[in-house]
Amino acid sequence: MWILSILPEAAIHIIFGLGILGTIAGFVLGFLMFMKPYRLAVQICGLLILTLGVYLEGGLADYKEWELRVKEMEAKVAQAEAKSANTNVEIQEKVVEKTKVIREKGRDIIKYIDKEIVKKEEVIKYVENCPVPKDIIDLHNQAAELNKGATK
Amino acid sequence: MRYLLIALLLAGCSTTVPVTQKFPNATPELMKKCEDLKKIEGDKVAITEMMKVVVHNYSLYWECSAKVDGWHDWYNAQKKIYDDIAK
Repeated sequence: MWILSILPEAAIHIIFGLGILGTIAGFVLGFLMFMKPYRLAVQICGLLILTLGVYLEGGLADYKEWELRVKEMEAKVAQAEAKSANTNVEIQEKVVEKTKVIREKGRDIIKYIDKEIVKKEEVIKYVENCPVPKDIIDLHNQAAELNKGATK
Repeated sequence: MRYLLIALLLAGCSTTVPVTQKFPNATPELMKKCEDLKKIEGDKVAITEMMKVVVHNYSLYWECSAKVDGWHDWYNAQKKIYDDIAK
């Protein structure tokens, strides 16, 4: 109810209180002789104000309940955002560690080729006698660029 | 009087209270693109040189694979967090 955002809470209670007082007054004042001509008018006004007051009080109660739910939801969202940030840190660490291990293992194998494999006699013989044919190199290079055919 | 009546009749209209959830940021490491595979340079290449390029490319594949696995983990974790809010 938008009216609740512009009307202070106290005003709603005052309207409700005035409604009760007006309704009571409408019935009590009838006993006083000089007020008798205004009795009906006071009763009608009192009942109208009381109706409005009850309506606004109901709306206020509902509004407060929703406000509470919104706060609860905001707390949940804030908690989720913090959790999400923590998860990101955990995943970052995991991926960085995994990548580091892969890179190191790759470097170790290349180092092993340079240090050990190239020194082996049968490898030296093979390298001297059998250079890799150009067609094989071209095929390898084409395969290494397979993704380029897919990008426009 | 007419305006007061209109205001009273509209008093019951609802207002929306936005509770917005920010889209979670992706892990910076996952945002990095996978590197292009290395090509063999030269016409006369020794098998050992070729082997080194192949090993390097395998490393690149597994690094990229680690990122894809990371994306799966990220999605599953973020989805679980999102679903838990609605509970």
